[in-house]
Amino acid sequence: MKIIVAIKQVPERDAPIHIDAGGKWIEEANIQWAMNESDAYALEEALQLKEKHGGEVVVLSAGPERAGTTIREALAKGADRAIHIACDDLGDRDALGVARLLAAAIKPENPDLLLTGLQSDDLGYGQTGVILAELLGLPHASLILHVEKTDAGLTVKRELEEGWFQDIELPIPAVLSMQSGGSKLRYATLMGIKRARTKEVRTLSAAELAAPVASSALLERIALPQKQKSTQILSGTVKETAATLVEKLKFEARIL
Amino acid sequence: MILLSATLAEPQHFSPWERALFAGLVLLSITLFWRRFSIVLRKILQSKKDADFRLFPLGRRMWDFFWEVLCQAKVIRQRPLPGIAHAFVFWAFCAFALVTLNHCAVGLGIGFLSPSSLAGRAYSYIAATFAVACAAGILGLFVRRFLVRPRWLGQKLSWESGFIALLIFVLMATYLAAFFVTDASPAARALWWLHTLALLTFLPVIPHTKHLHLLLSPATVFLSRGGFSHIPPLAGDEDFGLVAGTDLTRLVSLQAYSCVECGRCTEHCPAANTGKLLNPKEIVLGLRGYLNEYGPSSAEPLIGKYNPQEAPFQCTTCGACEFQCPVGIEHLPILVGLRRGAVNTGAWESDYGSRLFLALERGSNALGLPAGDRDKFIQKQGLPIFDGSQEYCLWLGCMGGYDPKGREIVADFARVMNYLGASYGVLRKEKCTGDPVRRLGNDLLFQQLAEANLEILSQSKVKRIVTICPHCVRTIQEDWSEFGTPPPVEHHSEFLARYVNQLPRVKEQEKIVYHDPCYLGRYRNVYDQPRTVVAHAGELIEAPRSHERSFCCGAGGGLAFLGEEKGERVSHVRAAELAATGASTVGTACPFCNSMFRDAFAATGEAAPQLLDIAQLTARALPNDAG
Repeated sequence: MKIIVAIKQVPERDAPIHIDAGGKWIEEANIQWAMNESDAYALEEALQLKEKHGGEVVVLSAGPERAGTTIREALAKGADRAIHIACDDLGDRDALGVARLLAAAIKPENPDLLLTGLQSDDLGYGQTGVILAELLGLPHASLILHVEKTDAGLTVKRELEEGWFQDIELPIPAVLSMQSGGSKLRYATLMGIKRARTKEVRTLSAAELAAPVASSALLERIALPQKQKSTQILSGTVKETAATLVEKLKFEARIL
Repeated sequence: MILLSATLAEPQHFSPWERALFAGLVLLSITLFWRRFSIVLRKILQSKKDADFRLFPLGRRMWDFFWEVLCQAKVIRQRPLPGIAHAFVFWAFCAFALVTLNHCAVGLGIGFLSPSSLAGRAYSYIAATFAVACAAGILGLFVRRFLVRPRWLGQKLSWESGFIALLIFVLMATYLAAFFVTDASPAARALWWLHTLALLTFLPVIPHTKHLHLLLSPATVFLSRGGFSHIPPLAGDEDFGLVAGTDLTRLVSLQAYSCVECGRCTEHCPAANTGKLLNPKEIVLGLRGYLNEYGPSSAEPLIGKYNPQEAPFQCTTCGACEFQCPVGIEHLPILVGLRRGAVNTGAWESDYGSRLFLALERGSNALGLPAGDRDKFIQKQGLPIFDGSQEYCLWLGCMGGYDPKGREIVADFARVMNYLGASYGVLRKEKCTGDPVRRLGNDLLFQQLAEANLEILSQSKVKRIVTICPHCVRTIQEDWSEFGTPPPVEHHSEFLARYVNQLPRVKEQEKIVYHDPCYLGRYRNVYDQPRTVVAHAGELIEAPRSHERSFCCGAGGGLAFLGEEKGERVSHVRAAELAATGASTVGTACPFCNSMFRDAFAATGEAAPQLLDIAQLTARALPNDAG
């Protein structure tokens, strides 16, 4: 089975986030970068499928030069080769624009399975996988925790709300958006990193993929979430306050 | 006086037949010896060269050789009675070198040390003195091995040891008996032949048994890497640690063949003493078994028939084994080397281990908490930020920055520093030093962490570091130096001891038992400073196992992050030992020890002593408004 995994490099979880002067992106100095979390799970699932059924795992990433480190990490964990779409204006493209770039690189590869993360940890659109399926004309399922290969195609485990799961059968080729936490991630090894040095990374320029740049959505500005503390003092008898508290937890905080 | 008039009998006039027989036996003995010894030697020399080995400077090597081999210092100091007995045997062997040479020369009719000459007589008296001591020593060792039978010598009685003891005893007895007969007597001739036979039997036995240490261990001690738990850098792109026979270096192979199976390592090993699979002696003997069967050119994995994977991962890297070893075996580079081989190739699978590695691949600390937690702590505590102008950088470490108890220690140490008017600051950002991944053998992650931290330190212009964590101290000072030049670093016990006279004393006297952390004691040789601090705060008492023989808390080597243990918990054993001293307070100097004992005391549920770091012991005497 030939599997393509689309991965994105995002700021590391602990990175100090400051919005840049333009107001549309963050200051990139002093930031360390990592593989988007759900993409890491997509890669893990792909590697496990390859270990069970053989085949090839190709990672695909669009991004500036720095994305190379994340690509190497994917190769170190066991991907066979990589395609890097060199692209410095990722922030200017909307999900459709990025998906068009990726789709143009994927088409000639004719994969049996295309895995993406559910959403990116930075912009969090959660659309790229869905749009890719549409552009490639392939069946799609999202929120996938686990993929099983069957004679007919695939059986996938999909996470629903409130602890419910759904098992779906799909034909291949297909596109799946992977949820985090479905399997245990492997750690990067020194041997993996050294072997990765000799693996092929093909760099394509956004221009040669001839994907239209024009965006249908424009990013106006980004903002850090406002931190606010709002304290409410409940008054009344113990019975009353307890009832109000339950109600507020249920319908305002929505944690019950 | 009778003895002083006695002369060593030396049989004269050997017949040609006797000489021929003697020469033939010597030849046979040497052949049998060489047939085995040459194989061992070849296996050692065919092993990979140690990439970082430097013979010079010789000073340290010569001192080690003089002190540990010639003086038998470690042998005696760590096990006084058997140590003295062994030293007698060793010194007698040295004295007998000349005696043996002359003995053989006599057999060929070319004796050069006539017992009737002044020099010969004097030397024979010296040799006889050693012979008496040696005979007594070997008798003592025989009684110990076969009657007292200490546990760490193994379940099985070693008959070869008995046989060797007998040979040595015969050698000494026949030499001494020759003082009581005359040259021409048949008894003198019989004694000479008996001595000869014992000698010629002894020679080939050496390379076939653990008595190989007679020949190898002086070289092992002389050639050792030095330092403590020195983990050699990986050499080249195909070196991932100890994976297969081809990864065994000459030093490792030499050490594997030098083991004398005394079991001192096992006796002091926290894993072996709490029902784990790991037994450091068996690790070394496992490598020897591997070398015997497969040799140093084999691609057969080292983890397998001779060493199960589980064992090296049970090591707390406390270093008691390496410290104790009298023949210069460096266990930690071997144990960590086996871990490196398994982790660097991805062969080690452990849920806890992967979780730790991923936490450090993606985050900043071994506890897997968001870095913002550390910022909040710094803010809440009002710790000054290091801006390059202060004298000290107070390194928090994962425990100091994220663990609740570790934070209390940092807070109290900061109060003491404030009281003293010390100039210090904490870094805005720091990453785990990489200690747990270094000891677990993840070289990729360790290098990334070391380099990232060295970069932070150089950008922040740090000139001096002080920290509450001995693991950070060791890793920064020793392990990072493979990737750059870290600033000098000291443990807070060293800082506190320096200023102890400027600090107020508590009035009430309480008994405080001090627990030596492995990474402060054996790793850094710091024993007195924390004791000075403890003695300032109360009445210092010692645990049964202390100083160099301190028993680990169970946290080191990344084990604090690996979850459940097999058998008894190391921390429970040590906590019980500390509680049994009757002290009302346990004084610690490492946040890991502190955390292990906190859990141990909580789990045993008995009235546990109070648990305080030396910084807390110091801070409680400060006036309330200090800091």
